[in-house]
Amino acid sequence: MDKLLLGMEALDFLKNEGFPVLRSIIAKSPGQALTNAEMIGYPVVLKISSKKVIHKTEIGGVKTQIINDVGLMNAFDELIEKFVSSFDREYLEGVIVQESGKGLEFIVGVYEDKQFGPVIMLGHGGIHVEALNDVSFRLLPIRKRDARLMIEDLLISKVLFSSRQDEIDALLIEEFLIKVSNLVEKNPKIKEMDLNPVFVSKEIKICDARIRLSI
Amino acid sequence: MFEGKLRKLFTPHSVAVIGASENFEKLGYHVMKSLIKGGYKGAVYPVNPNSKTLWGKEAYSSVSNIKGQVDLAIIVVPTERVPKVLEECGKKQVNGAVIITAGYRETEKDEGKLLEDEIRRISERFEIPIIGPNTFGFVNITDCVNASFTYEFSLIKKGGVTLISQSGGFCHLIGFLAIEERVGMAKLMSLGNRVNIDFPEAVKYFLDEDRETRVIVLYIEGIDVPRRLFETIERAKNKKPIIAYKSGRNEKGDAASKFHTGSLAGNYRIWKGAFRQWGILEVQDSEDLIDTAKALDSCEPLMGSRIAVLSGQAGPGIIAADILEKEGLSLSKFSDQTQKKINEILPPLAIRTNPVDMGPAWHSPQRIISLLNVVSEDENTDGILFLNMFASANISLVSELEKTLRDNEPFKKPIIACLNAPSGVWDEEINKIDGEKGFCVIRTPERAARTMANLHRVSRMME
Repeated sequence: MDKLLLGMEALDFLKNEGFPVLRSIIAKSPGQALTNAEMIGYPVVLKISSKKVIHKTEIGGVKTQIINDVGLMNAFDELIEKFVSSFDREYLEGVIVQESGKGLEFIVGVYEDKQFGPVIMLGHGGIHVEALNDVSFRLLPIRKRDARLMIEDLLISKVLFSSRQDEIDALLIEEFLIKVSNLVEKNPKIKEMDLNPVFVSKEIKICDARIRLSI
Repeated sequence: MFEGKLRKLFTPHSVAVIGASENFEKLGYHVMKSLIKGGYKGAVYPVNPNSKTLWGKEAYSSVSNIKGQVDLAIIVVPTERVPKVLEECGKKQVNGAVIITAGYRETEKDEGKLLEDEIRRISERFEIPIIGPNTFGFVNITDCVNASFTYEFSLIKKGGVTLISQSGGFCHLIGFLAIEERVGMAKLMSLGNRVNIDFPEAVKYFLDEDRETRVIVLYIEGIDVPRRLFETIERAKNKKPIIAYKSGRNEKGDAASKFHTGSLAGNYRIWKGAFRQWGILEVQDSEDLIDTAKALDSCEPLMGSRIAVLSGQAGPGIIAADILEKEGLSLSKFSDQTQKKINEILPPLAIRTNPVDMGPAWHSPQRIISLLNVVSEDENTDGILFLNMFASANISLVSELEKTLRDNEPFKKPIIACLNAPSGVWDEEINKIDGEKGFCVIRTPERAARTMANLHRVSRMME
């Protein structure tokens, strides 16, 4: 049997493994959401948290660019309303209040292929991953050189290595890929993983993740 | 796994052809023809219980009746008889086998699979390395061992390119292109049903043990455990360039996966990544494959991305320059000293900077060759495209080039040339210079430029 880690659970798992994660605190009530936003600082993002929802954006379960308390209250109510129109309330775990990510969005994924065994993917991230199809694969484990070439494989690397930008540190992606490779090597129970998006600027932070573990 | 046995299989001192024949309709006829007409120097033992002599040689009723040692058995008997024959080979301590006979796992019939299992068991019991079944065989060009049913492979010139193919048809395609394009080859083989010699075994042998092999070409349709192939290549130590052509490109990911990664993990995407990971150059068609293999075998490595284009006529030079830039290479900027020398050779009637229009000197082979020599010494140039179309007045260009090359030291940078003329005009001279002294002839300016770009990719990957 497999175990699926989503939302907070997945982020906590990664945080425990030493990965940089956008600051995220779950709120069970509007009041808690306000306190969380206060601690994190605006702008924040709200996300529905439920085992029932794998692709949050598809069901309208994400609100971005929330800049103040009023916006937060409205977004909170809208998310709950949206959720209960499709699912039983008992499946609602809460709403995640999250620090806003900055920079370019990447996806880093892991998959256990029937022929090749564990593979790692780097791609142009966000919700349009499949449509953009700007991805690169390698067999795990990978070395530093592989990580660098994976970045070069992507069309978006033209932006990364352009002389016009000094906002994004590509080296961080290299180190991040190696870290993921090490995690899977150490932890063979990880069968599939989407870290998406991962925000890259002068720092690198995981915004959302889902992980499938074999148990 | 088969220590020492593969070397003997590919360079046998004695070959038994089981199922040898003098009947043109039988494969056993063609295998005998390939060996004998192909110039094989070792002992050939035809095996066929119905004949006393075959092809002027004593024929044997069974492999067990042969007195001497048999290094290689080529088996072309009917499908059902192969296990029995192989068993006899095992008892006779035959070193290795090629099973050309088909009708096994590749068929829809269950008997085929059962017979192949039997072949596998026998090969394990006697530890016999087997190429096939269901293969056209292999050809060792280096040592004139044509262990296939197509004699014409023996017309390929000797060189350093080795093809390991999952398809016999592809070997025929590439083998005949190699003859046409004067590509020197070391070995070519089709793995067939891969009963115990699969890509990893073959690649390891040609990387580590076969000295004549300098470039390895793989044609892959699909294999069960691709990781095993990649893990035989020690990337950090490998000095032989590997080129791969992958067909059967399945882009579909895992439809059952709810993850982005799983749904994007199409088989071909992973192959592409793995090729990059192990420093294998992937090519997209047969021409790209043959050109790149040829240049890798005959030229020095390209150590940078700055290319000079020397063209007898402006047009082909511009075409080549366009492609070079599109493929990520750049046109070199000659040093002052080089430019001065060029200006001494060429009158100011055409463009004397890169791409150089050698037009004003086109009727003078000496000046064209001087330009090539001068630019080959330029410190700002890593490789040269040397493009010359025939016209009546430059008919002596290639023979002069041949004389120069004969006297010169080999070029230290890759020189890729186009020498286009009506057939019969320059062919003889081109035959003498192509692949010599780091000079390689490619069919068109576009293909020459793309080949240069591939040399660059290979150098970068092998850093």
